Amino acid sequence: MKMQFLHTIITENRHEGPGYAQLRFRGDTPLAGLPGQFVMIRGDWGFHPTLPRAFSLVRAGAEGAVLVRDVGEGTHRLTQLQPGDALDVLGPLGNAFALPPKGVRPVLVAGGVGVAPLAFLAQQLHAAGRSFAFVYGARAAADLSLKDELAALGPLHCVTEDGSYGETGLVTAPLQRLLDDGTPSAVMACGPHPMLRAVTHLALAANAPVQVALEAPMACGLGTCKGCVVTAHDGVFHYVCSDGPVFDGEVIFGRAP
Amino acid sequence: MTASALTTKLGPLTLANPVIMASGTFGYGIEYADIVDIAKIGAISVKGISLAPRMGNPPPRICETPAGMLNAIGLANVGYDVFVNEYMPQIRARGVTAIVNTYGTSTDDFSELARRFSDVPGVAALEVNISCPNVKAGGMHFGVAPGPAAEVTQAVRRATDLPVIIKLSPEATDLPGVARAVEDAGADMVSLINTIRGMSIDVVTRRPRLGVNMGGLSGPAIRPLAVRLVYQVAQAVKIPVIGMGGITCLRDVLEFLLAGAHAVQIGTASYANPGIAVEIIDELARYCAETGVVPGDLVGKVELNQ
Ligand SMILES: Cc1cc2nc3c(=O)[nH]c(=O)nc-3n(C[C@H](O)[C@H](O)[C@H](O)COP(=O)(O)OP(=O)(O)OC[C@H]3O[C@@H](n4cnc5c(N)ncnc54)[C@H](O)[C@@H]3O)c2cc1C
Ligand SMILES: Cc1cc2nc3c(=O)[nH]c(=O)nc-3n(C[C@H](O)[C@H](O)[C@H](O)COP(=O)(O)O)c2cc1C
Ligand code: FES
Repeated sequence: MKMQFLHTIITENRHEGPGYAQLRFRGDTPLAGLPGQFVMIRGDWGFHPTLPRAFSLVRAGAEGAVLVRDVGEGTHRLTQLQPGDALDVLGPLGNAFALPPKGVRPVLVAGGVGVAPLAFLAQQLHAAGRSFAFVYGARAAADLSLKDELAALGPLHCVTEDGSYGETGLVTAPLQRLLDDGTPSAVMACGPHPMLRAVTHLALAANAPVQVALEAPMACGLGTCKGCVVTAHDGVFHYVCSDGPVFDGEVIFGRAP
Repeated sequence: MTASALTTKLGPLTLANPVIMASGTFGYGIEYADIVDIAKIGAISVKGISLAPRMGNPPPRICETPAGMLNAIGLANVGYDVFVNEYMPQIRARGVTAIVNTYGTSTDDFSELARRFSDVPGVAALEVNISCPNVKAGGMHFGVAPGPAAEVTQAVRRATDLPVIIKLSPEATDLPGVARAVEDAGADMVSLINTIRGMSIDVVTRRPRLGVNMGGLSGPAIRPLAVRLVYQVAQAVKIPVIGMGGITCLRDVLEFLLAGAHAVQIGTASYANPGIAVEIIDELARYCAETGVVPGDLVGKVELNQ
């Protein structure tokens, strides 16, 4: 899929709960992209902040979309953009989730804003008529920004740490139940690093293959700045933008000790 | 006026225009072929190449700072063999004017790289990086004093007939002195500035935001420092000066020309807009057509206040 650098216009800024915004944008040509792939985006704000920011695609096509959580200066400015504002978009970048063969159930596990690429994947699976399970965890109900649209696509297990919605606790509990129910499964996960480690170890213990989508600070997004390295359990360096962002969980985290 | 108004002579090196991509910020150039007319750029200085591949530093390697960024990549690169066998053929096929940025931990490394690159087709010039702040051995150590800088320059000069650019560090206490020393040792050009060391601390965790604690600062934040040093170095040497540090637009290019640069490099700003060099080249051509000047007319033409 060919990378493009598009000068797009914001078509919609959907409030998705406190601190969350889904930005939809449209350029002169459609933006291709698969679930797991990301874009580097920037508003028209001069040179501070200087670097573009990385976001997973929530949808691609004539209208693209990303889900932004306000965690700092760049994401704050992005959540303030209005329809008609300019948004520069470089993408699609990185690799995508690999779909498991027919007969193997995809189990999607999202932590917080890590829901973005998995919401795209759920859309794709739904459109292809494939059944899947979705585990969606966050600190509190307000952080489950996409739960309504996800509930419409298939079975959704929501978990909050404070118990304000769904089950109380962490994504690992419903994941374990799914892994134990006898259906051959393949896990795809995105969220905080410690969550991905725990998810990887659970999946591998159940002999389920596991893919994880990682984050790292980025400047270029396509392998040229050498900035986005993560260190795997065995000390090997991997570049999130050009080797990932989707990795075999075992390569990054190894098996549980 | 045609695009040839932008033709830029830098000693033995002639470029179609004075805009070059800075080393380490544009990879090997070919990565951008889908979205940028890379053959149109005056030249691309590739990511620093060492004899052997280098893994680079532990993460985090980059963090953003006001109007710029810190990086501590540690010269991660594929090494000479892979670069020459896998990347150079593509660089040639794409019609890119390639400047090869070299890095070594000893004078011998630098001269060996120069000797080997002399026989590689498609290398327009060498840019010898004696100014990287992010490596333990070599790097900036060679660039901060006239003696070691001249020694590396002389060794490289003996090893190659390629045009030799020495890339200078803003950390030298007497940069004009270092520039004069490398000029006397046979450099065809100097380029400056490489990044200057900075540090950023996360006040919650109380830890530096870079894995190796300090890194090189680049971007608009360093532009006034770079303009000052380009001015001082241009006053001190007769060889052409290539200026860089925080360039984001035509205005910034004109500022460096006025300070004494014959050509410029663009680094960090290309993350925000990978097509920035091509846009600036077009704007520069328009500027020349409208004002009737060529870039060379502006070099060093700053008029100091009394
Ligand atoms: C492949 C990928 C996909 C991502 N997808 C999403 C998404 O769909 N939705 C979403 O809200 N966020 C996503 N992120 C994280 C998002 O890029 C960061 O939250 C954002 O860059 C923070 O910028 P800031 O200016 O608000 O924060 P600041 O803290 O001010 O950022 C300072 C610098 O650190 C970097 N940085 C800080 N935190 C992170 C982080 N967690 N990951 C990467 N870089 C960071 C920034 O890029 C910036 O250069 C993704 C990151 C990556 C690498
Ligand atoms: C991520 C990164 C990597 C760099 N790598 C190199 C390198 O390998 N060799 C080199 O000579 N300079 C390197 N530099 C320095 C740039 O070439 C340039 O001198 C500096 O960034 C100032 O220009 P700018 O402000 O336009 O970025 C690097 C800079 C950055 C930001
Ligand atoms: S973000 Fe530049 S190499 Fe990955």
